Amino acid sequence: MPAAQSMFPNARIPYGTWGSSFFPAWQTSALAEVNIAQFAGEAMNRILGKRRVSTDRLDYLIIGSTVPWHWKFWNAPLVSSCVGRRLPGFHVEEACATGLLATLAAGAEVQMGAAEVVGVLTFDRTSDSPVGVFPERRAYQRTVPLADVWDNFGFDPATSGAMIATAGKAARKYKVDRREVDEVALLRHEQYFAARESGALDNVLVPLDILTVQGRPLGRIDDDLGVRRITAGELAAMRELDTCVTGGTQTHASDGMATLLVTTPEKAKEISARPEVDIQFVAKSEVRSAPSLMPEAPVIAVRRLLDRTGLSMDDIAVAHSHNPFAVNDVIAARVLEFDWRDMNKTGCSLVWGHPQGPTLTRTLIEALEEAVALGGGYVLIFGCAAGDVGTSALFKVS
Amino acid sequence: MAMALRESGLQSLGLGGVLEVFARGQLPATASDLVTEVFGPQKARGSLVISGANGMVGAGKAMQLGARLLPFGVRVVGLDFPGAPDGIGGQYPGLVSTFGKTRAAQIMANIVRLTYDGRTLPPELGDLKPAFLLEAIPEILDVKKAHYKIFRDAFPGVEIRSVTSGFPASELGVGIAHPAFPHQINKVWEIVEPKPSPITQLLWALGLVPVPVGDHWSFVLDVLFCGLTHAAILYHRACNMPYWKIDKWVRKLIGPNPFRAHDVIGAQGANFLTWSCLHHLAEHYGELFRPTPELEARKDSGSDWYPPNHFRPVVDWKLETRELEDLETWILGPLFQMTSLLLHERRAELPFINAVGELCAQFRKGVLALVRDVGADQARERVAAYHRVHPAAGERAWHPEAFETIEQPAGQQLYVNAEHNGEVGTIAIGRESYNGDVDVELNRAVDWLKKAGVERVIVTGDFHLATQMVGADTSEFYPALERTEEGIRVSETWSRTARRLATDFKTSVAFVNGKRCLGGFLELLMHCHHLVSVEDADLGMPEVTLPVVPGLEGCHWPFRKTSADAWPKLLRLLLTGRSVKARDGVPWLVDFAGPMDAALQMAWRLATGEESGVRRRSLVESPLEGVADAPGELPAADSPATEAARRAILESIRASCAAPLGDALSIQARHSAGFMVSEPCLKGVIGSDYAKTMKI
Ligand SMILES: NC(=O)c1ccc[n+]([C@@H]2O[C@H](COP(=O)([O-])OP(=O)(O)OC[C@H]3O[C@@H](n4cnc5c(N)ncnc54)[C@H](O)[C@@H]3O)[C@@H](O)[C@H]2O)c1
Repeated sequence: MPAAQSMFPNARIPYGTWGSSFFPAWQTSALAEVNIAQFAGEAMNRILGKRRVSTDRLDYLIIGSTVPWHWKFWNAPLVSSCVGRRLPGFHVEEACATGLLATLAAGAEVQMGAAEVVGVLTFDRTSDSPVGVFPERRAYQRTVPLADVWDNFGFDPATSGAMIATAGKAARKYKVDRREVDEVALLRHEQYFAARESGALDNVLVPLDILTVQGRPLGRIDDDLGVRRITAGELAAMRELDTCVTGGTQTHASDGMATLLVTTPEKAKEISARPEVDIQFVAKSEVRSAPSLMPEAPVIAVRRLLDRTGLSMDDIAVAHSHNPFAVNDVIAARVLEFDWRDMNKTGCSLVWGHPQGPTLTRTLIEALEEAVALGGGYVLIFGCAAGDVGTSALFKVS
Repeated sequence: MAMALRESGLQSLGLGGVLEVFARGQLPATASDLVTEVFGPQKARGSLVISGANGMVGAGKAMQLGARLLPFGVRVVGLDFPGAPDGIGGQYPGLVSTFGKTRAAQIMANIVRLTYDGRTLPPELGDLKPAFLLEAIPEILDVKKAHYKIFRDAFPGVEIRSVTSGFPASELGVGIAHPAFPHQINKVWEIVEPKPSPITQLLWALGLVPVPVGDHWSFVLDVLFCGLTHAAILYHRACNMPYWKIDKWVRKLIGPNPFRAHDVIGAQGANFLTWSCLHHLAEHYGELFRPTPELEARKDSGSDWYPPNHFRPVVDWKLETRELEDLETWILGPLFQMTSLLLHERRAELPFINAVGELCAQFRKGVLALVRDVGADQARERVAAYHRVHPAAGERAWHPEAFETIEQPAGQQLYVNAEHNGEVGTIAIGRESYNGDVDVELNRAVDWLKKAGVERVIVTGDFHLATQMVGADTSEFYPALERTEEGIRVSETWSRTARRLATDFKTSVAFVNGKRCLGGFLELLMHCHHLVSVEDADLGMPEVTLPVVPGLEGCHWPFRKTSADAWPKLLRLLLTGRSVKARDGVPWLVDFAGPMDAALQMAWRLATGEESGVRRRSLVESPLEGVADAPGELPAADSPATEAARRAILESIRASCAAPLGDALSIQARHSAGFMVSEPCLKGVIGSDYAKTMKI
């Protein structure tokens, strides 16, 4: 493996101390009924319990979410109480890049020596998203209500365009062929189901039982509800919503949480059930594309990342992306000159949906598991985020 | 010279054996004599001073003792700081609901409330002639000792007892009377004294349950209660399970919910007391008890263990087999280790060690009964497994050999004792609800008497731990809710035991000595040739209200012992669930009811075969006809479930009465077991308890 310098030499992600809920599509599960931050806190506690990591070891908590939740003002300290500990901490938010940002922020905390074991906890509930009522003196309505998830998806105030329009525009710019996009979407579904069936995600996804307020069972979150096996014929028959974008080639909103830990090299060895596995932070890059070309932003970010580290795509063992549009993967493969079949091998957000905050956290965990199974190597994570942002980061598993 | 299977509870209070009570025809001590002994003669009665009277314990005990001492003209002085929140006043609504307005006002009026600065006793106290100081001030050794000094300086003759949760008498310099929560109603007091004093005997004579224990840190109750809390916190540390869920698992496993108990008692105070007990225990016994950071933090913050209402838990904790094994190791391991310590130090008579958990800490079965169930070797293996995950706990306070003592009669007869004088025997039951253990021990007691050639027996409560007999322990029916065979097994087994009371002795006399005798216990005692009761005891068959169908032969046995004109009364008893006063149950249910002494004497006369004027009712063994034809006008059932139970009970009565005695046992067992798996029972009291406790 060619050497690239670690950006946080004192920080590690302890193998196997992570986990994610399944991501049921919005409004399909008991997660639509709960305060998602409380759920996330309690779920993190449960996951760490399963991983035999006492929450007593944590000394800091970074949470990430994008959809406002009840009592959000109280931030990470409140969520840590739901984990069962009284920790300080803060909240980060960067639309769909939130999961990666939170992980990197935790790395920075450890690198700084400010904390030893930092919990990263990301979550979102797109179901029943809150409606904000904003006094807008300059708007002709004077007071503007805004449904957090859907109204935001539909309108980027910086460009006056909708999220979906960026995919169509990028597809037109890169002259993407609809058939190729459908092929990507089909393969991604196949990859997901193959991974589920092979047990490759068993160390990632944790079934969780939800209770009613009376303490009775409300539902078990044990599937990425809303994901279904799809055929080439069905994909081809779908109506285009914008160039190369159909219901089958774009993601869907969902609910969920995902968590991991970041700690020092010494503590990582103590905490992890496989202390011989070493996971380091190598580099990060983030860019903003030209207006309304969001799907090309991640590729630009990855290019910069490779240039900076002196690595090429050939050096990457595992690549996973947040790809709300299948168009993203076609553009990435074309610009970075590699085969889109070689990435997102265990599934991706195009398939299992998109709860925003935890999306890239689950993506990262899946990628790290895949890399460990391969015996190590560089792990590339990238994706787009609202505002035509592209983010990318590199990890090293050895 | 009387022989005993083991020492009786009464003996441990210096009050002799149970057989003696009957032979003498009176209770071994009376409250009025003991009041005089403790507080002086009527004309010069001294007072009971409770210091810390506005506190959790002080206020509760002011009510419990105040209500009982009122008839004897003993004033209660409640001493506290000025500005202490009005704990005594807060008790008033409870008093009213128990005693009615008039009595409540009298009890309150008998309490003299005084405040002082903690250093100089108020001058009026002298006029009230303090005879007995019950100290209930905070659990701080030096503060308590200073408090005794000012009292002894002012009133040299005053008797002092501390309610301390954990300090031994040797540290405090006074005897201990450690009461159990909830203080208004829990009757148990752990007592530390060189020998049973009139104060202790007075508590007994007032209907309370003093339990002598050794002078060791935290006695018995708080070793178990605090120790179990500690075990549960350590389990939390090992696996992160939230406290509320640990409570549910611990309740399923053994009965208590240690964390909820803290919140209910009041986390502010209870966290501190648990910490204090554990802290001192750890100093003497090491890591088995060392408080964890979680407890240290809560001692200072006083925070609840359960989440607040607006954060009622969202994520449940199901356990896989491996995780369940861990749970049992972390909970039962230390519990068994603590049990070995209690046994090794012989902190109390074995039945007391066992009973304290049941009566004061919500254990479904006491710790010794638990160890007896799993066996000493298994218990040792559990502790060994615990030491593998928590090695430091094994360094001290582990006495694997101590489990051998459970083999002694006192360990084998935790609930049932027997005595005899060669002619007459007594079987004394020290558990208020009947369960499989009581059943086994009762059989052993019968065997023991029979082996000694005793043919006359009185079956009674033990005049100590069991102040009433409330019926079957319904948690024993849990398996029967899922499997009819299990219901049949329990019903048949227990019924066969009950029949021994009718068949194995020439004369058997049942004696009801407490406030009530209900359900399974009444059915059991009906099997004796005679039933004698104190006159104001409540006798009843509340099964229909749960609802269940009586399975200890209540559906046919009593009918076989009365003439047809009394059958409607029995039907009412069974179908309405309403009790009758014992005096109203003569002669169709009860053979004699009278004041305590008269009842004791009658029981003795019947047992010894002396002239009593009470005839033995015969038992009709052939089928009875027309028993359930005329239940008469019943009050409307209060729910469809009660209606269904009434029908089922009537069917059981019809079928079992219509059979010859020999067949009736299994017929009624089938009816009882059949109803147990039915919808009304599953949705009823037992079914809901089962779901709440076991299906988590
Ligand atoms: N809380 C329980 O359930 C429980 C159970 C068994 C035993 N105990 C024991 O009871 C004792 C009291 O505990 P509590 O929980 O009732 O505490 P509490 O704080 O509720 O009550 C203590 C009371 O004592 C008063 N007080 C303090 N110093 C005093 C003094 N020098 N003279 C007179 N009054 C004074 C306080 O004002 C307060 O009203 C402790 O020794 C404790 O170990 C408590």
